[in-house]
Amino acid sequence: MSFEISIGPQHPIHVEPLMLRLSVEGELIVDVDVDVSYIHRGIEKALEARPYIQGLYLVERICGICNAAHSLCYCLNVEQLLGKEAPPRAKYLRIVVEELSRIHSHLLWLGHYFHTLGFETLFMYFWRDRERIMDMLELITGNRVTTSYNTIGGVRRDLTPEAEQRLRRTLDYIEERMRYYEKVIDSEPTILARTQGVGILKPSDAVRLGVVGPHLRASGVKHDVRLDDPYSGHDEIPFNVITWDTCDCYARVKVRIREVYESVNMIRYALDHMPSGDYRLKIPPFFKAPPGESLSRVEAPRGELVHYSISDGGDRPYRYKVRTPTLANLLSVVEMLRSRDGYEVYIADVPAILGGIDPCICCSARVMVTDEARRRRTIMTLEDIIKISRERGAKRR
Amino acid sequence: MIEKILAAIFFPGAVFLLAVSLLYEWVDRKLYARFQNRVGPHLAGPFGLLQPVADLIKLLSKEDIVPMAADRLLFTLTPILAPALILLACMFLPIAGPSGIISFKGDLIAVIALLSIYTITIYLAGEGSSNRFASIGAVRAALQLIGYEIPLTLSLLSAAIAAGSLSIGGIVEAQAERGIWLIAGPQIIGFAIFVITSQAEMERIPFDIPEAEQEIVAGWEVEYGGRRLALFRLSKDLELILLSGLGAAIFLGGPIGPVIPGLEPVLYTIYFILKSIVVLAIFTLVRALFARLRIDQMVSFSWKYLMSLAVILIILTEVIV
Amino acid sequence: MRVPGRLVAEALRSLFKRRATILYPYRELEKIHLPEGFRGRIEFDRAKCIGCQLCFRVCPAKAIEMIEDEKGKRPIFYIYRCIYCAQCAEVCPTKAISMSKVFENIALRKEDLVVR
Repeated sequence: MSFEISIGPQHPIHVEPLMLRLSVEGELIVDVDVDVSYIHRGIEKALEARPYIQGLYLVERICGICNAAHSLCYCLNVEQLLGKEAPPRAKYLRIVVEELSRIHSHLLWLGHYFHTLGFETLFMYFWRDRERIMDMLELITGNRVTTSYNTIGGVRRDLTPEAEQRLRRTLDYIEERMRYYEKVIDSEPTILARTQGVGILKPSDAVRLGVVGPHLRASGVKHDVRLDDPYSGHDEIPFNVITWDTCDCYARVKVRIREVYESVNMIRYALDHMPSGDYRLKIPPFFKAPPGESLSRVEAPRGELVHYSISDGGDRPYRYKVRTPTLANLLSVVEMLRSRDGYEVYIADVPAILGGIDPCICCSARVMVTDEARRRRTIMTLEDIIKISRERGAKRR
Repeated sequence: MIEKILAAIFFPGAVFLLAVSLLYEWVDRKLYARFQNRVGPHLAGPFGLLQPVADLIKLLSKEDIVPMAADRLLFTLTPILAPALILLACMFLPIAGPSGIISFKGDLIAVIALLSIYTITIYLAGEGSSNRFASIGAVRAALQLIGYEIPLTLSLLSAAIAAGSLSIGGIVEAQAERGIWLIAGPQIIGFAIFVITSQAEMERIPFDIPEAEQEIVAGWEVEYGGRRLALFRLSKDLELILLSGLGAAIFLGGPIGPVIPGLEPVLYTIYFILKSIVVLAIFTLVRALFARLRIDQMVSFSWKYLMSLAVILIILTEVIV
Repeated sequence: MRVPGRLVAEALRSLFKRRATILYPYRELEKIHLPEGFRGRIEFDRAKCIGCQLCFRVCPAKAIEMIEDEKGKRPIFYIYRCIYCAQCAEVCPTKAISMSKVFENIALRKEDLVVR
């Protein structure tokens, strides 16, 4: 006999609203349904009404934690439209801030994840160390969260030698703390009991569902945009793509901890080999972009972030489309939450699994057509969207 | 007779216990925060000592909402029954003397039985609120009872066997006669089992499964608000006194210590509170060190490890004593 | 068999370490160290402004409004709309706009949150 409980839209583990309807029999989950449409802010429409320089600050606020990734992706996109490239020093500085924001995001996720597992002490320790990273971001960019560091044609300010000294000291501290935390996590039976064998996602399923980022790498698939499509000097900086083979929540924790080490090494390399020169191109604040379309991809802390824009020759985009990594990862939650033979999922595993994909629901939204006149509501399927976009694209040409 | 009634109401009875329970909640929260490099309560009163009082007053002043489909009898009865049961059990604790206000042969078993009835009250409280999360929490609480009850009983019984008496007062006097606490000996295993199973009884991390905030919102107490929630929280604080006091009395010698004749009740109380704060500190440390287990993991852990340890302990006690 | 509770050494050490919390705002206001280049409240120097209106055109939050005074056109800034992006400070040709370190921008009246 099963009944339905809903995790959401408001729930202590959700930072943003998300509806997960579970059918449970006792503690065992037998069926799952996901609904994402609770937080649609109309950002893509708002971008069509703003010149490119104003759109930069709007794009940054799509997500508080990935703001460096969103603004970097936007700048790459517009620079591609203009046919320009940032100078070498700007590329390395962009890498420094991007990797700092990746460390910040992973520390935040680790703290929040252990909070959902009930381990509040590690939650407090991780967030205390995250404060050091935020102090560094504040020193380099002027603000703790919305860094506003990238601009079209480069970065907005340079890195002073004092800031570089403090940054190196903070990186040493973070690396030492992370090694200690990794030892604790590997040796604590309660954590291992809650994360090992929980939320299995086989590599073939992961690729079929279109999963990206550390979630994909935790299922053993080696895919990273920084490796496949280096976008800001990543081909000059050596780094390892971390994968783990056990495909469960423990793998996701390990991948993210090890990515912090890689980010620390990348920042150190970038600081050691920082090219000299200008840190931004001279581009006037208001400009008309030549007509065309451009696609840019960035490895945000949660996965592959894609921005696509169409320009019709004006000073604002004709259409701007954002595909965030969480939207790609959400389908896998449904797959992981279903109990199959030999694989049982309990209600207590829901925070572990949902948290494992590092959800940032504010980045995702679903197209829902509400017809006021006829009082009908339909949700578009993938086939509908493909058909409509092909028709509209053909009409525009 | 009159003295017994006055003692039961004022000292060391209900009023004293309620005040000390708020103090223990402060100790628990402050220590927990310090383990995490935080501050803890610091604004209400000096060092935040009045914070639990402030929380209680706030809860008492909130609106009282009863869901339409809830069972009225259970919804009203269980918040009153829970602290009453724990208060009754606290009357057996030897606070101001070698034996408590109520004391008879076998009162250790009575305390254990009262604790089990308390958990059944929690189960009824959860089922009486017509909420799915509450039902899940209530069932988890009952399942957890199946896990920890026997090791808890066995650890306390082995201490009784070692002391040769089934009343808490008798165990305290046996420790006073021998001059050493029961914990110095094989009963240290019993103390370890007692600490772990008390965490499960009090529903604290790593066993706060029935009210896991991150999974089922507040579990069995999700529908209770205002005065009813205040009574449940009070019962939790009283449970802190009960279980830390029980640990102090049985394993650490209770209120026994060097006395000045004439000032005995005061000194006994001070020793009792000091020793039970030590036990409380151990509880808080355990709370800070682990993640939350799943209910099936908890029950299997309890039956695999705690039960075997308890059986070994009973055998050791029989052999050595 | 893994021994649980490896964090115990760290937890016990934290008892004696200085707390990580800064008791802002009731005490310890002086512990807040803001770096140079912190983007706080806008400060405006009327003497340097030439009325080019670039700041008004570039503001993403539409927090700047141009008014006339005896010397010509000049901006006023609505702090309650400002998003502290510092784009106006960057684009001003005479550096009349700068970002201060004031971050507590709350007031009881809207007029207190307008920089003239």
